[in-house]
Amino acid sequence: MTGKVNREDILKELFNIGVGQAAGTLSEIIDKKIILDVPDVKILNVELGKAELDKFLSQVAEGAVMVSSISFDRQLEGTVSLIFPADKMHQFIDLCLHEDRGEEASMEFTDIDFDTVKEIGNIILNAIIGELSNTVNIPVEYTLPEVNVLNSAKADLFVSDEAYHLVLMMYITFNIEGTHIDGAIVINMTLKSLDDILNTIDKMYDGR
Amino acid sequence: MTKILIVDDSKFSQKITSSLVGKNLDDVSFDYADDGEEGLEKFREIRPDYLLIDLLMPKLRGQDLIESVRQIDFDAKIIVVSADVQKRVRDVIEKMGVLSFINKPLNDEKAKTIADIIRKGAQ
Repeated sequence: MTGKVNREDILKELFNIGVGQAAGTLSEIIDKKIILDVPDVKILNVELGKAELDKFLSQVAEGAVMVSSISFDRQLEGTVSLIFPADKMHQFIDLCLHEDRGEEASMEFTDIDFDTVKEIGNIILNAIIGELSNTVNIPVEYTLPEVNVLNSAKADLFVSDEAYHLVLMMYITFNIEGTHIDGAIVINMTLKSLDDILNTIDKMYDGR
Repeated sequence: MTKILIVDDSKFSQKITSSLVGKNLDDVSFDYADDGEEGLEKFREIRPDYLLIDLLMPKLRGQDLIESVRQIDFDAKIIVVSADVQKRVRDVIEKMGVLSFINKPLNDEKAKTIADIIRKGAQ
């Protein structure tokens, strides 16, 4: 029987594999080497999750963020959001489109910018959730991805207040040839979903 | 001239797909649809030789679009280009008789695979 701590470690490893795949995917899109650090995966209750996320939003993103999110349901249920500081996004989009608009940091985004971030977010988030789904053999069905720019973003926008939810937070740092972007991946999922994942992990590792 | 209809709600993906696949094929033309419903309309109107279909789209999802297209032309040549990496999704789609299921992002190698399928079909 794997203990609680070990199960959490395995879960973190599963997410890290997904994030690693996402980095590879992103590297293919922009055709440049990407160093993607994922220091830790934190599994928190809603209250702690909100506090943690608010800290990130105030310190790293200074409130203005570009968020790409996708919800999933069926046997696993939740929402996953990819949060970037908005002021770095023109550089990031230019890298993805292989263009150089030579613009200073700005908060004006075109339809093409939104479309690009939506699709990149879709690919990255599919890598993370899809690989997890494959590993534990529990299917998910996605809703359409969304992208928003939020000024003075607060954790309430990403984390559901509903009971029996929890928050998984991963801080990620993209380093793309000198362009340094600190972002976060926030997964707000039901406790039942996490239980299903952890129980499946138990069965896989205990051979039951 | 080989007519290819790209059905994808992302202009970014439409651009990448047509550019990479077009680079590997001669005498090809592309048409585009931004969602499944438009994809079905354009399929009826254009009767493309090949459809490159995304799965997660507004109005009509890729899977439903494939079913609708099959009702019109059972032998329609369909290649799915999707970000969904789930094995179960791939299994379901492959059973629908598509020529191939390619995961996004498209790169030169994957585009060559698509081009090879199209070239072989034209022979």
